[in-house]
Amino acid sequence: MTKPYKSQSFYVLAGLLLVLIPVSLYMIFQWVPPIKASNPTEATAQRIFYYHVASAWIGFFAFFIVFLGSVLYLWKKERRWENMAVASAEIGTLFMTIVLVTGPIWAKPTWGIWWTWDARLTSSLVLWLIYVAYLFLRRYLPDGTRRANLSAVVGIIGFIDVPLVWFSIRWWETQHPSAVVAGGDGSLAPEMLKTLLFCVGIFTILYLLLMQRRMQIARLEDSINRHYKEWETLS
Amino acid sequence: MSVIWAIIRKDFQMEFRTKESITAMWIFSLLIFVIFNFTFEISRLLLLQISGGLLWVAFIFSGMLGLNRSFQVEKENGNLRGLSLTPADPGLIYFGKFLSTTFFMLIFEALIFPLFIIFYDIQLSLVTLWIIPISILGTLGFTSLGTILSAVAIHTKQQQILLSLLLWPLITPIIIWAVKTTGDVLSGELSAAFQPVMVRMLVFDVIFTTISYLLFEYVVQE
Repeated sequence: MTKPYKSQSFYVLAGLLLVLIPVSLYMIFQWVPPIKASNPTEATAQRIFYYHVASAWIGFFAFFIVFLGSVLYLWKKERRWENMAVASAEIGTLFMTIVLVTGPIWAKPTWGIWWTWDARLTSSLVLWLIYVAYLFLRRYLPDGTRRANLSAVVGIIGFIDVPLVWFSIRWWETQHPSAVVAGGDGSLAPEMLKTLLFCVGIFTILYLLLMQRRMQIARLEDSINRHYKEWETLS
Repeated sequence: MSVIWAIIRKDFQMEFRTKESITAMWIFSLLIFVIFNFTFEISRLLLLQISGGLLWVAFIFSGMLGLNRSFQVEKENGNLRGLSLTPADPGLIYFGKFLSTTFFMLIFEALIFPLFIIFYDIQLSLVTLWIIPISILGTLGFTSLGTILSAVAIHTKQQQILLSLLLWPLITPIIIWAVKTTGDVLSGELSAAFQPVMVRMLVFDVIFTTISYLLFEYVVQE
C-alpha cells in the first residue's frame, strides 16, 4: 500500500492544538486583566483582539507562501509548488475572512460602528479581494499546466502589489479626516503581549496543520487522476 | 523593436478601419456622465471635490472595454497561438499590446476630456495642462497590469468578469494617486503632495511594466 491517509505529523499537530487552544482561551478570558474601558462590553470585546491579530499575521504569512510557491513553480515546474501555493491561498483567504469578521465585532462596541474606511480595514479588504480573485481564476480554468502558469503569474503580481496597496491607502486615509481614529496602539501590558504571541504561535500550528491536510488532498487528487488515466489507456 | 512596432501597427490598422474600441469607450464615458448626473444630485462645491474621481471612474470603466477587446481579437482567429509560435520574445509581444492599448486609451481620454470640461464647467488655466502627464502615468499603470491580466483572463470562459475581479483590487494604488493629483489640477492649485505622488505613479508603472514583461512568457505558453 501507499502512504497512510493520515501521517504522523497530522497527529502531532492536531494533538498539540487540542491542548493549546483551551490554554489560549484560558489566557484570553481569565489570565489577561480586563482593559480600562468605559463599559464592560467594550472590555470584553477587546479580548477578540488576540485571535484577530493572530489571524491577520497568519493571513499575511500565507500570502507570502503563495508568492514563494508561485516563484518556485515557474522556476522548477514541479507540481508540489503549485499545490503549496494554492493550499496557502485558500488558507490565507480563510484567515483574512476571520480578520474581516472579527474586526467589526470588536469595532461596533468600541467605535460604535461596524466599519470605517480606515487604512488598515481598507487594505485588509483589498488584500482579501486580490486573493479571492486568484481563487476565482483557478475555479474558471481546467486543471493543467496552463492553470498552474496563470495562477503563478497572478500569485506573484498580487504579492508584489500588497505593499503598494498598503502604503497608498495609508497615505490616502491620512489625507481625509476620519470620523473614528483607530487609537494609537500604545504599549501592550506584558500579559497581553504574551497572550498575543501565544495565539500567533498556535495559529501558526493551525496553519501548518491545514497546509498539511490541503496538500495531502491535492496529492490524493493527483493520484486518482493518474490511476484514472492508466485505467482509460488499458480499457 | 520591429516586433513591438508590427503589433502596434496591426492594432492601429484594425482600429482605424473599424473604429470600434475608441468610439465604444467614448460613448460609454458619456453614458457614465449622464448616469452620474441622475444618481447624484450634486452642488457645484461638492462637484469640484469629486470631479477627479468622476473623471477616473469614466476612464477606468471605459478602459475595461478596450482591455477586454485587446486579447479578444487575438484569440478569435487563433492569433494568440500564432504569436506564441513565432520566434519573437513573448515580452516584446507584451510591449506591443501594452503600448497599443495605452495609445487607444490616451486617444479616447483626449477626446472625452473636452466634454468633461463642458459638462462640469471646469475652469481652465495653465495648471490644467498637468492633466496630460497625470493621464499618461495613470493610464500606463492601468494598462501595464491590465494587458497581462487580460491575456490571463482570455483563457477562461468568464473572461470579462474575471478581468475586473483580478484587475481592480490590484490597481487601487494608481487610482488613489491619479484621483488625488487630478483633483489638485482641476481645483487649479497644486498641493505639496503633488510632486511626490507623481513620482510614486511613475514607480508603480515601472515596477509593473517590468514584472509583466518578465512574466508574460508564462501567460502565452501552451
